[in-house]
Amino acid sequence: MNTNNNVYTIIYTTLIVVVVAALLAFVSQSLKGKQDANEKADTISQMLTAAQFGTKAEFQKAGNAAVLAKYADEIGQAFTVNLNGEKVQDLDLTKVYSPKELKRQNYNIKGGSNKTGEPEIPVFVFKNGKTVVPIYGAGLWGPVWGYIAFEKDLKTIAGAYFDHESETAGLGAKIKDDPAFQAEFIGEKPDFAQANVFDIVKGGSPKEGDTEIKDNKIDAITGATMTSQGLDTAIDTWLGAYAKYFQGQQAACDKPCCEGEEQNCKEEE
Amino acid sequence: MDAKLKETILNPIFKGNPITVLVLGICSSLAVTVTMKGALVMALSVIVVTGISSLILSLLRNTIPGRVRIIVQLVVVAMMVILVDQILKSFEATYAIDKQLSVYIGLIITNCIVMGRIEAFALGNKPWPSFLDGVANGAGYGMILLIVAFFRELLGSGTLFGIDILNRFGYVPNNLVILPPFALILLGCIVWVQRSIQKDLQEK
Repeated sequence: MNTNNNVYTIIYTTLIVVVVAALLAFVSQSLKGKQDANEKADTISQMLTAAQFGTKAEFQKAGNAAVLAKYADEIGQAFTVNLNGEKVQDLDLTKVYSPKELKRQNYNIKGGSNKTGEPEIPVFVFKNGKTVVPIYGAGLWGPVWGYIAFEKDLKTIAGAYFDHESETAGLGAKIKDDPAFQAEFIGEKPDFAQANVFDIVKGGSPKEGDTEIKDNKIDAITGATMTSQGLDTAIDTWLGAYAKYFQGQQAACDKPCCEGEEQNCKEEE
Repeated sequence: MDAKLKETILNPIFKGNPITVLVLGICSSLAVTVTMKGALVMALSVIVVTGISSLILSLLRNTIPGRVRIIVQLVVVAMMVILVDQILKSFEATYAIDKQLSVYIGLIITNCIVMGRIEAFALGNKPWPSFLDGVANGAGYGMILLIVAFFRELLGSGTLFGIDILNRFGYVPNNLVILPPFALILLGCIVWVQRSIQKDLQEK
C-alpha cells in the first residue's frame, strides 16, 4: 500500500487524532471525581495547617479521610462577605474554595475585563475562634495562593500556609516548603487601615536596636524577590478586600468583652 | 535470550546511557532530583511512557505515512504523558508527588529520550524489542536520576525518601546541593567516573 498518498495521510492523521482525543476525554472524565477529592483534601489540609492544627506533612501522612474528618470536627462556620464587610451568604461547611475559584474572585476584587461579578470572598471560622481567609495572586512563574489564620481578636496572625504552581524549587518554592518562612507570620498584626496592609520586604524582621515598629512586616526570601513581591501583593489585595470585615469585627471585639476569656464577642453584638 | 535482545536491554543502562553518554534528558534530571521520591516517580513515569509509546509506534510502524511521521509520534507520546499525569493525580498516594513534580511530568514529552528512541529504534524494529528498548532507555535515565537524587537528598536535606539519616548526627543540610547547579556538578562526576571505566568513550 502506498502510505505516502495524500488522501491516506489525511485520513490516517484524522483517525489517530480522533481516537486519541476520545480516549483522553474518557479517561479524564472517569478520573475527575478522584482528582477533585484529592484537591479538596489538599486545600483543607492547607487551611488546617494555617490554623496550626498540625503540619502539612502530618496531614499528608494521615490521608484524605482523616483530613476531612478533622475539618468537620473543627470548623464552626463558613460564609462569604463582600467588600463592605457584609455577610453575603452562609457556605456549606463541606465546601472549600479551590484555587480555581480563588482565581475567579481575585479577578472580581481587582476588577477589569476578567470580572465576572461582585466579589464574594470566603471566611472560615473555626470552633476555637480562629478565622482563616485565603489569599491569591501572581508569583514569578505562575499563581501563588494560601491561607492566613487570625487569632480570636482578628488582629494577630495565628499562622499561614502558602502554595504555588511553579515557583523555583529552593528559592520561590520556600513560601510553601520552608516552615520558618511561614512561622515568621505568626504574631504579626496587619494594618487594615492602610492600603498597604502587609509587607514582605528586606529587613522586615525586627533587629536588635530597631526603633521602628515592624508589626506588619516580615523578611522576604533571599533570591526570590519576584515571588516575595507577588505574595506581598496577593496579601495586600486580599486582606485589603477583607479590611472592612476585619475592622468591623475588631471594633466589636475592642469592647471590654474580649478581655474576659469566657465571654464571646459574637454574643455581645 | 539472544545476544541482540540482551544488548538492546543492557546498552542503554551503561554503555549507551541516555543521560551520561547521549546527553539527553538533562533538563528534567536537574529539576526533579531534589528528593528520592520525586526522582523515583519521575523515573517510573518515563519508563512507562518510553516503553508503551515505543510499543504502540512499533505496532503502527508499517502504516504511518512517512511525511507525518513525527506528528504521529508526537500524538502518541503526548497521549501517554497525559495518561500518566492524570493517573498520578487521581491516587491519594501520588497526588502530592505529582504536585511537586508539577510541569516536569507534562514535559516528559519534550524529553529527547522518548522521541529519540522511537525515531531511531521503534520505527525500524518489531514490537517486542522496541518495547524493551523503550523500557531500558527509561531505566537508564531513571538510574542516573536516582543516583543524583541520592546525593542531593542526603547532602541537601540529610534524609533519604524523607527518612532522617544524617540530621540526627548534627548534620547541617547544605543548601547549595538543593540548587540545580549541584545536579550538574554531580552529573559531571558521574560522566567522569563512567569515562574512566569505559576507555572507548574518551576522545583522543
